[in-house]
Amino acid sequence: MDEVFDQLETLKKMERRVAMATLVATRGTSPKKEGAKMWVGERGRILGSVTIGGCVDARVIEVAEEVLASLKPRILSIDMGEEDAWETGFTCAGTVEVLIEPLDLTDTESNLLSLYGAVRAEVENGKRATVVTLLERPSSRIAVFEDGQVIGTLGDGALDEQAQAMALELIGKRVSRTVRLTHGSSVLDLFFELYGPPRTLIVFGAGPVSMHLVNLAREAGLRTVVVDGRPRFATRERFPHADELLIGIPSEIARTLNYTPSTFVVLAAHDYKYDIPVLKVVLQTRTAYIGMLGSRRRGQAILKFLKESGVDPLSLDRVRVPMGLDIGAESAAEIALAVLAEAMAVKTSRPGTPLRERK
Amino acid sequence: MSALYSEVILDHFRHPRNFGSLPSPDVTCEEVNPLCGDRIRIELAIRGNCVEAARFYGDGCAISIAAASLLTELIAGASIEPNDEVISSQELLSSLESSIKPSRMKCALLPLEAVRSGIKSYKQSMPETTEPR
Repeated sequence: MDEVFDQLETLKKMERRVAMATLVATRGTSPKKEGAKMWVGERGRILGSVTIGGCVDARVIEVAEEVLASLKPRILSIDMGEEDAWETGFTCAGTVEVLIEPLDLTDTESNLLSLYGAVRAEVENGKRATVVTLLERPSSRIAVFEDGQVIGTLGDGALDEQAQAMALELIGKRVSRTVRLTHGSSVLDLFFELYGPPRTLIVFGAGPVSMHLVNLAREAGLRTVVVDGRPRFATRERFPHADELLIGIPSEIARTLNYTPSTFVVLAAHDYKYDIPVLKVVLQTRTAYIGMLGSRRRGQAILKFLKESGVDPLSLDRVRVPMGLDIGAESAAEIALAVLAEAMAVKTSRPGTPLRERK
Repeated sequence: MSALYSEVILDHFRHPRNFGSLPSPDVTCEEVNPLCGDRIRIELAIRGNCVEAARFYGDGCAISIAAASLLTELIAGASIEPNDEVISSQELLSSLESSIKPSRMKCALLPLEAVRSGIKSYKQSMPETTEPR
C-alpha cells in the first residue's frame, strides 16, 4: 500500500472527485490482500487495482461510477465459484468485498484526507499506523498510531477504545483486516487498514545496474535513494526517477539515512572503497535486505576483511553476495531484475522459486 | 591487495590514524576523484602559522586512505607560512614506501590536494597583515 499516498497526490492534481475502492475482505484465494486500492476519477481516470485486473476490477469501475453519481458509499461483494471463474476470467476463485466511497479531493475539511495526511507523516518517520473504518458508515473513521495515539472518532468513545485495542493488535501482526466487534447490543464490522514505513531502496554506487534497479524499483512502488561520491555519475539525467540523489562521502551519507525493516540496501559500486565503509554502517541497522554486487570470491574477501576489522561475524551473514536470484542474468537490466526479485523474496520470507512448484 | 602495496599502505589502510573530525576546524576541504570516486575530507586546526592538529574522513582506496592517514601525521606542527610548502608531494609519496603507478598517482596525492586547497582558502580568508619594516 506504499503507493496509496502517491496516488492521492497524483489525483489531487487532476481530479476534483474520485471514488476510492478498497478491498476490505477476501475469502479463498485472492490475488491481492486486504487494503488494496483502486481510484476511479469522475473524469474517468483509473489508478491502482483491487485485483490483478480482469472482471472484478471492471465491475468495481462500474460501481465506482454509480457511487460517483449518487455520492453514496457501497460495499460490493463478488462471490466467484470455480466455474464462474473460468467463464469470467477471475482465475483465482474466491470471494472479495470492496468498499467503494466518494471522495472530494478539494474538500479541505475531509476527515479521510486529514487522517491520511497524519498517517503519511507517521509512516514517513518509520512508524506504523492503522486507519479504522466503520463499514456501515464509512464517514466514521479514526487513525491509530503504534504508540496508541488516536485521531478522530467513530462516534462513540467506548467503540473508539475497542477499535484502538484491536488496531494495536493488528499493527503487531502487520495485517489489514475486517473485524467484527460486539459493541453493546450491536455487531459492527470495522476495517483496519495498516500503513507502515514505505519500502525504500537505497543504492550505493550510481553505475549501470543501479540505473535499471532504480527504474524497476520505482515501478514496483518503492522509494529510491541513490548515493555516490561522484557528481558525474549520480545525475538526474541518469536517474530521472530516483526520489533522492545524494552526493558526498557514501559512508557518511549512510549514517544519516533512515533504515527500517522495509529498507533494501544494495551495494552496486563494485568497489571496496565504498562497500567496506558502507557495510560497517548498514550492518548495524535493521534492514530487510543487503545485497552486494560482485563474485563470490570478491564478496568473501570483503566479508573476511570486515570480520578482521571487528564486525560481528553473525551480522555478515545478512550480506547477499553474489546478489540476485539465479535467472541467468547477464546484462545490467537483467541483473537489476534478479536483485529486485531477490530483495522482494527476502522481505516477504519467500524462497524465490517458481510459483507452480509451490505446495 | 597485498602484493601491490607496501606494509605501510596496508597498515594505514587497515588502521587509519587521525580518522574522524575536529570539534571546530579552522580548515576543512574535501576532494574527490571524479571517475573512481575516492572522496577525502581533511580538517586542520591552525595555531599561529602552524598546523596544530589534522584529521581526515572519507571513503577511498587503500592508497588514498593510507596517504591521508600518513599525511595527517606528517603535517602535524608544519608551518603554513607563505614561502613554506606544508609538505611536498615527493615526501608524501616516499612515506608510502611503495612504487605508485602513474595511474594511481591521483589517489596518492588526493589528500595533499585537499590540504593545499584548504590552506590556500584559509590564507585568503585571513586579514592581510603589514610586515614590520
